[in-house]
Amino acid sequence: MTSLIEPIQWNHSLGDEGILFVRNDGIFDTMVKTPILVASMIIVAALLPVQSSFGSPRDLDLIIYPDGSTHVSLEIHVDPFLTDFELNLFGSNIDNLVVIGDNEFLLDSEIIDDIALIQTFGSSVITIEYDIHDLVSKQGKLWTFSLTSPSDFTLLLPQNSAIVGMTNLPINMEIINDQNQLTLSSGNTEIDYFFSITTITNTISDEKIETDYFSYAIVGGIIIIIIATIIFVKSKRKNIQSVEHIQTSKKNTPLDIETIFKLKPHLREDDKELVEFIFNNDGEVLESDLRKKFLQPRTTMWRAVKRLEREGVIKIEKKDLQNLVKLRKNMEEES
Amino acid sequence: MKKLALFAITVLIFGSISPSLTNQAYAQNDPNILLRIAIQADKQIVNQLDKKYENEIPNEINILYDKGHEAVKSLDQSLSNNDIEKAKQDFLLAMNSFMQISRIISQSSEKIIVVTISEKSNRNVSNEVDRSEKYLKTLESISKKHNDIAQSRGEFTKAYSLIKEIRTQISTDQNPSKNINELKFLVESIKKDMRTSLIEKKSIIIKQFFEKLIDEIDQKIMDIKDSEIDQTKIDRANELILEIRELLSKNQINNAKTVYSELKIILKNIGIIVKIT
Repeated sequence: MTSLIEPIQWNHSLGDEGILFVRNDGIFDTMVKTPILVASMIIVAALLPVQSSFGSPRDLDLIIYPDGSTHVSLEIHVDPFLTDFELNLFGSNIDNLVVIGDNEFLLDSEIIDDIALIQTFGSSVITIEYDIHDLVSKQGKLWTFSLTSPSDFTLLLPQNSAIVGMTNLPINMEIINDQNQLTLSSGNTEIDYFFSITTITNTISDEKIETDYFSYAIVGGIIIIIIATIIFVKSKRKNIQSVEHIQTSKKNTPLDIETIFKLKPHLREDDKELVEFIFNNDGEVLESDLRKKFLQPRTTMWRAVKRLEREGVIKIEKKDLQNLVKLRKNMEEES
Repeated sequence: MKKLALFAITVLIFGSISPSLTNQAYAQNDPNILLRIAIQADKQIVNQLDKKYENEIPNEINILYDKGHEAVKSLDQSLSNNDIEKAKQDFLLAMNSFMQISRIISQSSEKIIVVTISEKSNRNVSNEVDRSEKYLKTLESISKKHNDIAQSRGEFTKAYSLIKEIRTQISTDQNPSKNINELKFLVESIKKDMRTSLIEKKSIIIKQFFEKLIDEIDQKIMDIKDSEIDQTKIDRANELILEIRELLSKNQINNAKTVYSELKIILKNIGIIVKIT
């Protein structure tokens, strides 16, 4: 912290071109505390991907029932300064419409043809769930799903259905309780399927060998951050006191399910089911596995997991780009 | 110091490029999925053709099948060569050919039945019960959050019992229509109860929303007071703001909303747009 910003008047000459040079070696040291700067940089880097996903306007999940009816679940970011929001539905034959606003508040809505007029009144994120009967048609034994989607979406096909044609490239495909779930990109999609008792699912459920570039990027980024931090720490040559790792064997002993429910008596019944499932899976499970088990849309499960995290029942860690949900071992002390 | 700057730059560069890396990785998530779907479709088409035509497959369909099957083989090759763009084209070509075949097969059925799912008579009762149960669970989850009347009256338990009963009736070939109607009535009554019990909480939220909004509009009108905008319009806007505040104090939310609609038109004429600050 020895060098200070040198006032420009102290410069002996400004040069022929009149360019002003200021010594900037000490700016960081003088104006900003370096540890804060480093921490801020790491936080910025960590938050950037989160920010980009948060900015995405919609989250859309569809489930096709065997009779062709479809359950739609979508999440929309709306302007909190609007009283109403007009949502274009995917058709006009709608049942069981529920609109949920911030704080899981049931919002009033009215359907006029294929538009839902929703009274948002300050909500910034709304979740809409409804059943629609306009997306699937049937000719002979052939079922056709068609949708022009404004965003990427997931589509869970009925059990024993076999895809025999499609017009859109799938982004991903998973098997959930013997049902194919496709992730599809926005735009026009048509999918033809038959019902067949000899559905060939084995070919799809083969072990996936993924080339996951994002994992490499994350690992690379972490390595860069670690190396840079080591260089920085060494360059400062400061005496760093070793950090004590307070780990007691007591804390690492997982709580039994009754104790968890005793500690958190106000947990919702559906959340308790989640906790029980995680507990029975050695205390940790992937969020995607929770979705598979409970057949919940991404957004609904995400909210549930976040709720449990807020309650201090679980913690969320990243594992292979997925959310690993773990029961907290030291819930008693942290809650 | 230089090392620190270098570190900061590295972090920023990584931070900036990471979202684009995410997108790329997402788009290329396991391209082998394309092959799996195409192979599945190919096998299904062969099954369908065997059932329908046995060994007398029409030439038109044969040509289409060969086209699709060749595209599947090409897709396999493209993936081996890591040529993703070609693989995508092969996939779409294969699936398009199979789609045409499946449509020809279904059109040439002896009895063509085009079913419109939107017609209630074509809906499956069992699926309808599944959908009602999902709807009920969504309502229950909201209801639990707010501890409302429907929850305390145990109406959800009644509805779940009805669903169980209907399922038993379906499995034993009994007519469940009476119970289905009862279930529908009960679910609607639950929703109505929920609305009623939430009305107080809701009016607080709506009031807060309006107050926030009106404060901002008020500030914006103050800012343009001395400009060349028609003073009568500004006065009218101020009158409407007062009116809204009065209506809110009397809990007349719907009337406040109507007046707000009028205010919005005046604000638009003045050139004030209320947005998130």
